[in-house]
Amino acid sequence: SLDFWRLLYVLLKQIHGGRWTESDAIGAQVSFVKAVLWYHGYSRPQLQRLPADGSAGSRELLLAFSWLLHSLGLLEQLLARNRVQTGDEASVCTCEDELPSSQEGPGEAGAEDRVDVRYLQWLNGRLRLQWCSLHAQHQEHCKLLHKIHLFTSGSHMDQNLRHFSVTETDLIRQPENCKQLLQLLESETLQLEAFLEWKQLEAVYWQWMETVLDNMAEEGNMCESQDADVEKRRLPEVTSSCPWVDKLTGQMDRLSRDLLALQEQLQQRVAQRKAAWWEKVAAREELQKERFCATARKVQESVELKLGGLTSLRAPRRNRMHGSGRLVLRSTGAASRAGTAACAQEAAAAVSAAEVLAELQLREASLQRELQQLRRECRRRLDGIVEGLEGVICVSP
Amino acid sequence: MQSTGGSSSSLPCAVSAGLKAVLPGLPGLTPARDGPASGCGARAEPRGSGFSGLSTAKAGRNKPREGRAPRARGIPGTVPPAPGKHSDHRDPPARHPSDRGAAGPRGQPERLRPGAAPAARGTRPARRSWQGRSERGAGAGAGGRSGGAAAGLMLPAGCGRRAAAALRTALGEGAERRRELERRAARSRALLWRWDDEEEEQPQPGSSTEHEDRPSPKELEELELLNRALEKALKVRKSILKTPLEAQGATGKKWAGEAHAPKKAEEQQVPVPVQDIHECRKVRAGSKKPLLLKKPSPYLLRAPYRTDPDMKKLQQKVPARCVSQGPRIAGKITSKGMTSKQGRSHRTATGASAREVCAAAEPWETPGLSESAPNEQQSFSGGGSTVGKNSIADGKQLLDAGKKSCGFLGESSKKEDTAGPWERSISLGPGTLQEKGCQLKLPLSYRKAYSRNSRAWQRCRLYQTSADAAAARTRFMERIQTTFCSPKLSLSPAEIEEELRGLQDVFSHLRQYVEAEPVDPPTLQGEYESLLTLEGLQSTVSQCLQKLQLLRAALESQLRLCPDCIGDVGSCSPACVPARGQTCDSADMLAVPLLYYSSLQELRDLFALKLQVSMLHQEIAIQKVMMAELLPVLEPRPFLEGSAGLFRAIHTQLCEGGRHFPVLVRDELLD
Repeated sequence: SLDFWRLLYVLLKQIHGGRWTESDAIGAQVSFVKAVLWYHGYSRPQLQRLPADGSAGSRELLLAFSWLLHSLGLLEQLLARNRVQTGDEASVCTCEDELPSSQEGPGEAGAEDRVDVRYLQWLNGRLRLQWCSLHAQHQEHCKLLHKIHLFTSGSHMDQNLRHFSVTETDLIRQPENCKQLLQLLESETLQLEAFLEWKQLEAVYWQWMETVLDNMAEEGNMCESQDADVEKRRLPEVTSSCPWVDKLTGQMDRLSRDLLALQEQLQQRVAQRKAAWWEKVAAREELQKERFCATARKVQESVELKLGGLTSLRAPRRNRMHGSGRLVLRSTGAASRAGTAACAQEAAAAVSAAEVLAELQLREASLQRELQQLRRECRRRLDGIVEGLEGVICVSP
Repeated sequence: MQSTGGSSSSLPCAVSAGLKAVLPGLPGLTPARDGPASGCGARAEPRGSGFSGLSTAKAGRNKPREGRAPRARGIPGTVPPAPGKHSDHRDPPARHPSDRGAAGPRGQPERLRPGAAPAARGTRPARRSWQGRSERGAGAGAGGRSGGAAAGLMLPAGCGRRAAAALRTALGEGAERRRELERRAARSRALLWRWDDEEEEQPQPGSSTEHEDRPSPKELEELELLNRALEKALKVRKSILKTPLEAQGATGKKWAGEAHAPKKAEEQQVPVPVQDIHECRKVRAGSKKPLLLKKPSPYLLRAPYRTDPDMKKLQQKVPARCVSQGPRIAGKITSKGMTSKQGRSHRTATGASAREVCAAAEPWETPGLSESAPNEQQSFSGGGSTVGKNSIADGKQLLDAGKKSCGFLGESSKKEDTAGPWERSISLGPGTLQEKGCQLKLPLSYRKAYSRNSRAWQRCRLYQTSADAAAARTRFMERIQTTFCSPKLSLSPAEIEEELRGLQDVFSHLRQYVEAEPVDPPTLQGEYESLLTLEGLQSTVSQCLQKLQLLRAALESQLRLCPDCIGDVGSCSPACVPARGQTCDSADMLAVPLLYYSSLQELRDLFALKLQVSMLHQEIAIQKVMMAELLPVLEPRPFLEGSAGLFRAIHTQLCEGGRHFPVLVRDELLD
């Protein structure tokens, strides 16, 4: 069962983007696996009660593993994650990576007690500079990519691609690299074939799991009574001291504060508008009402349409574009020609850069708004501070 | 290729100018009372302290003058002097790095560069220098007119440090990305280079017999011309560099076989070698595109790029990539950085290589030399300017010759190409990936493996789980979920997180709608519409609030099951915080979609926009940290005399993203 813990640890660590080392203490491994299972909603008490030294529970782990297989698509995820890259890829999704939380350098702390604001400004300047140079680098990279794609067009045997990627071009230059890449590709192919084989036997596997579950349940009945005790004792200890929880609750608090503020604002405006509306309606003649009904219905429809986008906003989150795609150059003429052929035989999604651009633009606009909003808030508060001053006028740029 | 060089160089220019713009921007914050003179002194010193040597001193002296110029222009226009004692206002010294880079004075940057470089490289030393400066500023103030000016710019320890840490983290992340990107760009650049080189290489090693006897009449003629021009240039150089020539270094000895003791002239050269390497490399890059070579000034402008250590490494690598013998030798010499002996060693090197190897070396070699001549002349500014001009003129001559032979080379390889196995009409220049790219074939083994692999992916993707397997699976899943201790339909923490993110998204849209709603619609119909919209929004908001409540409850109940809060309460292990597993790749995991782009512009837009988005993301995160840290600094205390500067700085940081400065006018009617 020790090995089983380790296996799960390694697999889950991969999915959660962490680095794993063989040397991690078994206790940490066990608690990591438990935490991840909890995170994904696997709340089987029997698992959580397993000892931290990893000495027991191989059958529990088997169940958990099976659960992960389906609910997370564990195998698929792993396959996709470790896919050998032969193309030039660019991510198409607009989900943001979490920014690494800033931590203070340990040496930094005691050395200087106070920080010059100008130091902050200087850092900020450097950051903007870095953005500029990143931009330029990206542009150069694009140019190079495009050239390579353009120059090798028509060479690739895959009719959907038609040109080499950087990796493939490099392959021709340095054939010695070929061996390594080939090995990778071949082992991946083997993995895929194994996956297919497993898929064919899947029914058997799940039946076996059911029997495991039955056995576990029989044994479990015996110690049920003790469990209840444990259960009760555990309940009161809800202490959220971990940063993840803190962050989440912080976000919730902030959101609810904002929502409440918005609600208040809306209430005011609605009340205002309503009053004005009734006044006007009263002033106008009743006979207009007939005709107005038609327009009112139209207005209602248009509003519903307008707000419909809002409610549907949360649904399509799932089928947005995610992950990364292989960059393929295709002139518009060729696209329409080859497009039909490609679509027919290929189920793989093909995204056009224009679509991604559109989505990115939306995202950019909303981020821009958020930033402006934050700045406005700052300005408001700083204006408040200045107002408290006598004889100083602040002229905003 | 050439345009590549152009873009990579225009970036650094903006960068260095930007850096400059950032640095002088800061002194602008010191109160006017300090007076320009003392301000300059303080400004120049710390920057110089990191360096020794000629150029630094120059940099130190040049900088403040330049930094002041825009300010002096700005003041009279913007705000009339307040009637009171003093008005503490400045024109924004720098709007935006790139703006400034385009508009700012261009002649200076590379001279300033050595001074700016360390500031860009390491945070720590630079920081110390800032720290030092502010102290000095405070000291000067105490001795002079008014104290506490710099002290007013200090932030309390905790919050300042946290804010700085946030910025530094962002910087570190960016640096990481830059490195990665640079690595990739270097790879693709190498691919594009390689074909150039190969074109030239092919004829040289004598693999094709037809070519070996070819470089006879015309090429030799060119060669002769080049050699003569070279000698002339060397004469001129010698006349300028009498002293430095004595300082022959190790490489010089090796190549020229001459024993000269290195002398103290070396210390003068300290800043030079770096420049020289780059100059050479640049020329080399340029020789592919002779047009660029025509004007020496663009190079000087590009110089700031040299600051970047990564770039430097890369540039040094480039000469090594040149396959023909001549340049390789020259590359070695120049990259050793012994400027002064370049003259001699060059001669020997070229002399040797010219006859034996090939003409290809020459066009590269010579411009390098011609470039270095004016360059040196600049740094040893004692030399007469007329001589310098001569050498430049010589350089031009050489360039022309080089160009010619370049063209010739091109022709010859073209000829060879048409005669060779590739039977294609060539429209563009010789030796590019372009002409060969279309015929390239991937190795057979790779092609096999590739198609097998993609077929396997395809099959996996299209595989349909059989009905009984699916049924067994669902049965198992349902059964195991009945044993869970959480209520059946409750959300997992991952789902809670996801839902919360969705809610935040909805909220930002809601706010946008509210803001877009007209305050006073003109028509009756518009008014009605607005009313309905507002009501609709209202109901959505309350739905969101309800949803949030549910999420809160779900989180509570999940926390009760949290494994790490069972045993040891309080010491929550890091495992409790699973990094968000990429929630984003759940849809169709086994397919990598193809991302079609139709033009270079589209590709560029794509990447630019992606960067912009992630930049905004980062900026927002920083803004939040700053708000949390900096606002409390100002809010509680009664506004002190000295903290106007602090207020201004924070205002800039929080409301303008550091781009603009507000003007504070003290409106005191004292008489």
